[in-house]
Amino acid sequence: MSVMTGRGSDRRRLTAAVLGPDAVPEPLPLSDRVTRGVVVDATSYMLCLATRRGEERFLFERVTSFWKGDEVDPTDLSPGDDAVVLCSHDGRLVAERVWAQPARATGVIVGREGEELEIDPGHGRPRVPVVVPYRSSGRIGVRHPRLEPGYVFDAIGVWRDGAVWATRPATTQPPYPLHATPHRPPTLQYSGTVSGIATWYDPLLGRSSHLDPRALANAAAYPAIDPVGHGQGCDRRTPCAPLPLLSTGATLRLRNDCTRDATVVPVVDCAAADSWICDLCPACGGQGAGRIASLTMTAFVALGGRLEDGCFNATVTVAQGEG
Amino acid sequence: MLPEIVDVVREVQLPLLAALLLFGAVAKTTAGGAASGLAVLLNERLRRPVTVASGLLEAVLATGLLALSGTPGGLARAGTAALFAVSVGVLILARRRDPEAGCGCFGGLSRAPIGWRTLTRAGLLSAAALSTLGLATTGWRVVTDLTATHAVVLGVELVVLAALSPEPRELATRLLSREPCALRPVSSRRTMMRLRSSDVWRTNRPVLLGTEPEDVWRHGCWRFLRYDGMRYGRRVDVVFAVRADGRGRTAVRAVLVDRESGAVAASFGAVTTRELQGPPRKLPRPRAAAKRDEAVRDAERQARALRAAREHPAARSAGGRDADTGQLA
Repeated sequence: MSVMTGRGSDRRRLTAAVLGPDAVPEPLPLSDRVTRGVVVDATSYMLCLATRRGEERFLFERVTSFWKGDEVDPTDLSPGDDAVVLCSHDGRLVAERVWAQPARATGVIVGREGEELEIDPGHGRPRVPVVVPYRSSGRIGVRHPRLEPGYVFDAIGVWRDGAVWATRPATTQPPYPLHATPHRPPTLQYSGTVSGIATWYDPLLGRSSHLDPRALANAAAYPAIDPVGHGQGCDRRTPCAPLPLLSTGATLRLRNDCTRDATVVPVVDCAAADSWICDLCPACGGQGAGRIASLTMTAFVALGGRLEDGCFNATVTVAQGEG
Repeated sequence: MLPEIVDVVREVQLPLLAALLLFGAVAKTTAGGAASGLAVLLNERLRRPVTVASGLLEAVLATGLLALSGTPGGLARAGTAALFAVSVGVLILARRRDPEAGCGCFGGLSRAPIGWRTLTRAGLLSAAALSTLGLATTGWRVVTDLTATHAVVLGVELVVLAALSPEPRELATRLLSREPCALRPVSSRRTMMRLRSSDVWRTNRPVLLGTEPEDVWRHGCWRFLRYDGMRYGRRVDVVFAVRADGRGRTAVRAVLVDRESGAVAASFGAVTTRELQGPPRKLPRPRAAAKRDEAVRDAERQARALRAAREHPAARSAGGRDADTGQLA
């Protein structure tokens, strides 16, 4: 399923007319193994989910695992929960892993009141209230020692009462505030293929995942959006990975370096917050620093990522069509 | 002779110190970025105000060195000497606190870690400011009455300072090395200037219905601009692609895409990658020409084209027509 707007697909078609079809390959659909929707019923052996495709049922095996802030039992899923399901390789009937109420807060801290933080994800997206409960404050505090306005924050948790309850950090906080981030040294070599890490974001903010087409979108937000022609304004900084400047409508060839899965995703949004952070991903020992794309939740899972890890090492290729 | 040279050396310090202070003041008050120099030792909230205040102090001292003489001038010179002497101490402390921090002497340009050269430079500048105490002239008067001896001394001192400074290298890197075009931000004004000065624009100008682009986007080195157009009574999208670098005349391409069918109606500016034959100054030998043609020939493509032509309905019905004229026999 594609969520490219008419404008985005027009841009892709016209770019291909000038530079050739290799410069902007056709986006690939989302893998059948992944779906997202709202929990209708959950028992110890079956999950019933309302999705855009209708009502879907998934059976559990002994190895099926469930996550809702932490590893939980299937009966802990409650009706109304937003859920992402990864099916097993054998077929769409059996669930391999289920994430319930997954949430992520990436951005800069703009306010703090006790346990509550307010995070600005940039790019005009709404500010996200985040609660760092006492139970996970130690874990968060180790990698985010400064929970003060001006510093960057990135944590994964669950939606509860309209706020993100952070359960684990997704990065190590830089020791300086955002405005004092050093500039990237000039890059002299560029080959069109950039290694770094891919992260995920939720364009729906955990709401109406059974209605919104973006719930099942194989798409990505990109941290190096060209400001000219980008209507909403993208308050990005120069990302630390040497990424080519693109606009929405371009397509990226993206490969998960851990699982070697690859896909082609359209750029649909600006990943301002991901351009502020320059980190490594410990998932499979990669060396590429810097965030190269922020996939939608389902695209991230379809490409072999684990939502609770928050990232995987990835390689992105943008053909220039110089011929 | 020697006392005169010593006097010249002392006089030259005034405009030199003033220029360095002014440059530092401008760099400190305009640049943001990572903490360096004195800012390393301070609380986050105080960093920016203190950096700006030190920049302003430098500007005041520079003005004093240039314009004042007598007791006020002496005060400015003593202040400059004290400023550089204090900065040696501050830099040593900053280096101890954060070995990676730059000195911040010239704002964002001074990003190299503080080393012995930076410390020596600050010490020498302090000594230079001390040496100007007691001079009757002002910095501005030295500049206006510059002699050849002054110029030689100034040149030698600039060479010494350049050897002690990490900033010229940083400046050279910034000015000489340009980022690849795919990464470089380009203003839309520059793109429009490049587009409007191109032949491709002039050729397609009559087709366009408006003067402003309907949509602008970027793909690596290329910026695309879509205009509405009308060609032979049909609505077309005129898409210009303007390169961020390269020669201005060859950096613009355009395609005209029919809006209804989506087919490319015309294409301009693309350069073929095949080597074109030059003007026939001398014809190649027949054997060499045949060999070259054979290398270019794509047998499979020719066979495909021939097959398609034979299968075409027009070819099938040609049996009943005259082969030369196409008229029914």
